[in-house]
Amino acid sequence: MNFLTLAAKNLTRRRGRTGLTVIGVAIAISVLFSLLALNSGYEKELNKEVNSMGVHILAVPKGCPYEAASLIMHGGVIPKYLSASDLDNVTHIPDVELATPMLMHQFLKKDDKTGKTTPHIIYGIKMEDMLQLKPWWKVEGRYFQDNETRVMLVGKDLAEKENLTVGQRLPVGPAKENFTIVGILERTGDQDDQFHFFPLEEAQRVFGKEGKITTIAVKVRDINRISAVSEEMEKVPDIQVVTMTQIMGTIMNLAGSAKSLLLTVIAIALIISAFGIINTLLMSVNERVREFGMMKAIGASGSDIGKMVLMETVFITISGGIIGTAAALVGSSLIESFVKGMLPYSPSGSLISFSPELVGFSLAFSLFMGLVCGIYPAFLSSRLSPMEAIRGGME
Amino acid sequence: MSLIVEARGLTKVYRRGREEIYALKDVDFAVKKGEFVSIIGPSGSGKTALLNVLGCLDTPTRGSLRLVGTETAGLRERELVALRRDNIGFVFQQFYLMPTLTARENIELPLLFSHKKGNEAGIDGILKMVGLSDRGHHLPGQLSGGEMQRVAIGRALINDPKIVLADEPTGNLDSATSQMIFELFEELNRQGMTLIIVTHNLELARKAHKVYTLKDGQILGCEDMRCIQER
Repeated sequence: MNFLTLAAKNLTRRRGRTGLTVIGVAIAISVLFSLLALNSGYEKELNKEVNSMGVHILAVPKGCPYEAASLIMHGGVIPKYLSASDLDNVTHIPDVELATPMLMHQFLKKDDKTGKTTPHIIYGIKMEDMLQLKPWWKVEGRYFQDNETRVMLVGKDLAEKENLTVGQRLPVGPAKENFTIVGILERTGDQDDQFHFFPLEEAQRVFGKEGKITTIAVKVRDINRISAVSEEMEKVPDIQVVTMTQIMGTIMNLAGSAKSLLLTVIAIALIISAFGIINTLLMSVNERVREFGMMKAIGASGSDIGKMVLMETVFITISGGIIGTAAALVGSSLIESFVKGMLPYSPSGSLISFSPELVGFSLAFSLFMGLVCGIYPAFLSSRLSPMEAIRGGME
Repeated sequence: MSLIVEARGLTKVYRRGREEIYALKDVDFAVKKGEFVSIIGPSGSGKTALLNVLGCLDTPTRGSLRLVGTETAGLRERELVALRRDNIGFVFQQFYLMPTLTARENIELPLLFSHKKGNEAGIDGILKMVGLSDRGHHLPGQLSGGEMQRVAIGRALINDPKIVLADEPTGNLDSATSQMIFELFEELNRQGMTLIIVTHNLELARKAHKVYTLKDGQILGCEDMRCIQER
């Protein structure tokens, strides 16, 4: 027998109480672990998403740029438009390698089987420009030509969700014109997987927005010139400029506030959990005062008793840590959907990024928590005088 | 025979507010190696206080105590722990067995504190000596009172002590079981173990070599049962 066995067996004496304390720790550690996983995953996914747009600057109609940026990244519709002359002005700014117009439009589609109505996003694009911005695009079928009519590309997720295949025809727009799917994009891992892509002029024609665009996506020759180019673009009337760095920064700031709130909740949960452990241990120590007296009588030193109590605490917190971490790993999708609801902007990929270092940190934190919580009960029990303990007295 | 316990003028005073309560008053007490000593007396006479001081569980207010040749006055807590651990085995009225450990593990427990490696054969030997060879894997809750006390005696013996101190070891047992426990003590004594037992049971106390009577913290007298039996 060793101290570990003894401590473990002691904990089995009040299984219910030990179990509840372990669950308390597990919940706290699980939330902590998820938040840490989310922290690294969120930034990674956001970077990936912004980079996958392939553009350095977005020009949107004047208004709230952040709202616009958020709408664009979500595939939302901006109820204001830019014109061809705005595009022309942007194109002629030095250091602009490419400025491509886009029209975004949303329409609601009713599912014949479920009767549910879901929003669908249509992107009117110039395919030639788009392939320069997103050279990683690959297609099953073929890309459309910019002058083609009644053709479209669809994203992979959308195709899977709606059982769409190349060659299929879909009714689109107020006149329910049939558009043929000429290609399905291979999975990109970002929001492009959710969209319909039309030739720009077709999108404008179908939705009655001739000559109107919602966004100008700009690629700069040298990334060091981004701020100079955006300053030039600001001079164009009607245009609001949003750089990707701004979008990232704003989103990170907004997410940071939400994360601070979450962190506060977790800190409170951890403190409550810590007091719960200390309380459980103090109760347990009080109940076993005579037993400690006996142990001292049969040769245990104060440090032996303290060590045993400390081990019991560490057992509780480490078990809680393991269960909490495992629960977070298993239930990550649940946690993710909860957290996504709390954040102002969520990238489409998985927000939670687990790593062995993170698992190690969570377990190390459980151990640390055990040591901190166990010190006071261990100290109290170690300094009991054997005779007082046998008499059952402890202040 | 050499003295294993030698107490001179032991006094233990407890304070309750301004009141001083003398649990022991100038007690002189000596036990030779291999002796079997009983201490009797009414409740509150100081029997347990004396046993606690002799076992280094409590320190005397005045007086000196030599245990196994070591003067205990002035020893630090760590030294007292070592002295107690290496020389004394305790048996309590309430047994104080760990409910989550089997009989065997309860017996093994002191080895954990003395940092000695558990010797299976040694533990088997102790289980056999206390008559529990077939009950080693039972938890205390599955044992009778007599069996639990025998486990406690086994636990007191595992570290090979020089003295066993027992405080009312039969206080919670019926007469037949008490008789068996005393026979076990007699057997241990025959094997050379020094025993000091506090008891209320006069009949059993008289099985010892010497019977000390305590009253109001003082030794009233000592009967040498061997002389009485010889007479």
